[in-house]
Amino acid sequence: MLRLNPVYQKELRTTARSLRTYVIIFAVNGLLSLFGLFALYLSFEYQQKIGNNVEYSAILEIYSIITGVEFFLLLLVVPAVTAGAISGEKERQTLEILLTTKLTPGSIIRGKLVASISMMLLLAFSSLPVIALVFSIGGITLRDLAEFLLLILETAIYLGSIGIFFSALLKKSTSATVAAYGTVLLLCLGTFGAVWGIHFLDQMHLNHAGDTVTAIQADIGNWMLLLLVNPIVTYLSILKGQASTGRTLASLYEKYGNLPEVLNEHWLLFSTVIQIVIAVILLLSAAAILNPLKGNKERIKHKKQNTKKKVANK
Amino acid sequence: MLTINNLTKKFGKYTALNNLNLNIREREIYGFVGPNGAGKTTTMKICAGLLKADSGEVWVDGVSALENNKELKKKIGYMPDFFGVYDNLKAIEYMEFYASIYGINGKGARKLCMELLDTVQLKEQYESYVDTMSRGMKQRLCLARCLVHGPKLLILDEPASGLDPRARVLMKDILKRLSGEGKTILISSHILPELVQVCTHAGIIEKGKLVISGSMEEITSARGNSRPLVLKMVDNQETIIRIIKENPYTRKITILDNVVTLLFSGKEEDEAALLGSIIQAGGVISSFSREESSLETLFLQITHEEET
Repeated sequence: MLRLNPVYQKELRTTARSLRTYVIIFAVNGLLSLFGLFALYLSFEYQQKIGNNVEYSAILEIYSIITGVEFFLLLLVVPAVTAGAISGEKERQTLEILLTTKLTPGSIIRGKLVASISMMLLLAFSSLPVIALVFSIGGITLRDLAEFLLLILETAIYLGSIGIFFSALLKKSTSATVAAYGTVLLLCLGTFGAVWGIHFLDQMHLNHAGDTVTAIQADIGNWMLLLLVNPIVTYLSILKGQASTGRTLASLYEKYGNLPEVLNEHWLLFSTVIQIVIAVILLLSAAAILNPLKGNKERIKHKKQNTKKKVANK
Repeated sequence: MLTINNLTKKFGKYTALNNLNLNIREREIYGFVGPNGAGKTTTMKICAGLLKADSGEVWVDGVSALENNKELKKKIGYMPDFFGVYDNLKAIEYMEFYASIYGINGKGARKLCMELLDTVQLKEQYESYVDTMSRGMKQRLCLARCLVHGPKLLILDEPASGLDPRARVLMKDILKRLSGEGKTILISSHILPELVQVCTHAGIIEKGKLVISGSMEEITSARGNSRPLVLKMVDNQETIIRIIKENPYTRKITILDNVVTLLFSGKEEDEAALLGSIIQAGGVISSFSREESSLETLFLQITHEEET
């Protein structure tokens, strides 16, 4: 029989009883509904009022708006949910007890992460009726929706691992939350800023060096790869092929430089793989931080080797 | 059951444990006594696999605590000095959570947890939310949690701290019962008179070293001649005090009303000689004896000696 992680089971039970869970679900779906209905109003009622006609090609923007808002709320909620996962145990003084049980630091981390992801999936599924608004218009398939849900899952793991890493590293939930939000901000806006800054410097350099009248566009080349860790760019890349917003992403690339064709074609794949690898590294690091006896095996091995050497010398 | 050999632990330049040696046999209730910062919690944490040692060995029922953490966890139940509980969990759910960690689920878990709650006298409160329980109840619940996987050794760091006298008596009774059921218990506490009542053995740790260790009888009879002599004077007080002061074994004398307390380094025959000379000189006393020894006085003596 499949045995659930005990920490996950316990988290599910306490989360289900917590008022905070219901407040988050209500707030997220409330905001999503507001944006969805407002977008619908703008697309139909308002357009008709000002132009006496409805531009149906623009209605697909509703999908981008609703999923965009949901994705933005995900960026806001995941660090808050995960940053207290381990530090909360430290603050409650329950972590030491857990570490003296049969549970390994890795299984504690897994339980916490899966519980956080479950919360995100619950949010995603509870918002399906709002997302279903777009089906009333057409143009979006069930496959598109499934892809979006997978992206939600991947981003929850990615951002969740950041929250859990800081939660394991720092003693206080407040510090862990600040660090997690700071890192998410750095990934989302910092990478854009870095790409813009490098491009700006390159452009200045070119302008200064060039003596021709024709303006040469700077190409920052591999620095563009920084954007692979940016979850917003990954989200934009999924819209490519789903809604027409994909063009925005392509124009973003072109403005700063040229990427290899394979990367352009499979940005979603590359970025999700890199983000999952980062998540795995962060989770393994968090487990190592929690292990009270880390490095002990090496010390014992070293000690045994020394003893053997001494015996052999004698 | 628990053997500690030359255990050393340093935190930076501060030596918390300095070649500590300790041996606790099966079914013993071992009281671990020492002032704050003496190394009690550090020792307990190393024994529970929560802290690395710099050198030395810790063996729990034949398992090396420093090398085989996985096996160690099966052998021990650890209760830290400060611990928390989860909000939104009932007592039975709290217990079942820990039971599930050890793969005990379903009806078997419910039965075991109810039995353990009964052991710590919390059976009636099994549906109560943990965060609504009193401190004493939480302490007992934590103790029941330690027992869920049937450990042989219980490591209890200050289990009675913050409890009212009634809750302490209850805790003491539970510990005695557990010892009767075959558990070995290492317990640290600052409430020394209660340790004396519950422990079969004790040790005093000071600056990371075990200063004295043995059965409670051995401990309380140790340093017999260092216990003060107490005399209650009835008549001829000046003569009595003069004779006492003239005695070569008298080290320090304190007089409060008609009671004389003196540090007397002589043996039993020297005590008899002093008593004889007081009576011969016409001194009248109603009592003459060594002050009753206790773990508390011994603890104070030892720690005072170390300080001076």
